[in-house]
Amino acid sequence: MIETKEKFTAKKFWKELAKGIVLTNPVFVLILGLCPTLAVTTSINNALGMGAGVIFVLLGSNIIISLIRKITPNMVRIPVFIVVIAAFVTILSLLFEAYIPPLYESLGIYLPLIVVNCIILGRAEVFASKNPVLLSMADGIGVGLGFTVSLIIISFLREVLGTGSLEIFGKKLFAIPVLSQSPLTIFIMPPGAFIVIALLMALFRLLGVLKNE
Amino acid sequence: MAKGKNKNSSIKIMQNKFYPVIFLAIIVLVAVVLLMYVNNITRAKILEQREAKIVNQLKNIFPDVDKYEFKDDIYIILKDNKSIGYAFIAKGKGYGGEIQTLVGIDKDFAVKEITVMSNSETPGLGSKITLSSFTGQFKGLKSSEVVLSKDGGQVDAITGATISSRAVTDSVRKELDKKIEIIKKNNY
Repeated sequence: MIETKEKFTAKKFWKELAKGIVLTNPVFVLILGLCPTLAVTTSINNALGMGAGVIFVLLGSNIIISLIRKITPNMVRIPVFIVVIAAFVTILSLLFEAYIPPLYESLGIYLPLIVVNCIILGRAEVFASKNPVLLSMADGIGVGLGFTVSLIIISFLREVLGTGSLEIFGKKLFAIPVLSQSPLTIFIMPPGAFIVIALLMALFRLLGVLKNE
Repeated sequence: MAKGKNKNSSIKIMQNKFYPVIFLAIIVLVAVVLLMYVNNITRAKILEQREAKIVNQLKNIFPDVDKYEFKDDIYIILKDNKSIGYAFIAKGKGYGGEIQTLVGIDKDFAVKEITVMSNSETPGLGSKITLSSFTGQFKGLKSSEVVLSKDGGQVDAITGATISSRAVTDSVRKELDKKIEIIKKNNY
């Protein structure tokens, strides 16, 4: 009995985790959290840092909110969620500043802005406040990974087109000869973010349509 | 039996009209205590990092520094107990917020090197003020030459990031003038 029950949860856990990456991909499918997505995807470095930060906060806040879901009064649930999320973000930014200062600097203002990332509040409201802890953990990791993967895809295209080269953790991976001399600067600027995200969204839609047929 | 009773009493608590207020207050209290704790354990490390960063930069600008003194917001660079240069932090308002620049100057008040310590400029655009292709232009300049070339000076602005470039240039020049006065007056 116990074994089947455990198997069942493990299966559900992985299903929930995978769902966040593809089916309910926060950026391309749910179209949530676009503000930080547009802002930080100018370099793959920032995308990785932001992704790691969001996974940490999302996992932490999902666990806590799921744990207290039965005793949280409906009336004050939003302030409670925000306090929990803000606490995690502050802890994260203190830890980053103390132990990974280069990342702390390159993320700058976007780190404290994780508090108002609608993905995190959205998952708290839609999922964690209604589901048990383990599933909420899976949801947090899955959606967090989905967000990170989206950021990496967008920032890869923007950095390569906009600067003609790619740099990870201060190490130059490659530079495209002609492009790096006269890069398409627009891709680094805000309009480029909109163009890239729109094209990727269209691609995701197309893949969805093809799959259904 | 005991369990049922427990459940009943907890429902009673939750139906109290002050329960939401008390619950929120408890959550806030827990969060505050937790943050105080994390702040306590990371504070020393954060201050250490900031200090180490400045010392590191000072060593970059003045490779033969023995030690330094900090007076009137000026780092006085000492070698064999004689001052060989000075450094200070210039603050300017950029496109996305404050830009802090560490400026090292020699005994003749010419810029030795500048390093942008912190900025929140647009990544990939204004944030290029941190690159040596921009900061390198300041090397050897006197205060009157620290002006953007489009304003008649010696520093070429970054394409598409004039505000950020001007913020650095202007803050460095203004702070430099101020510090030269202090240094001369106190004979550091």
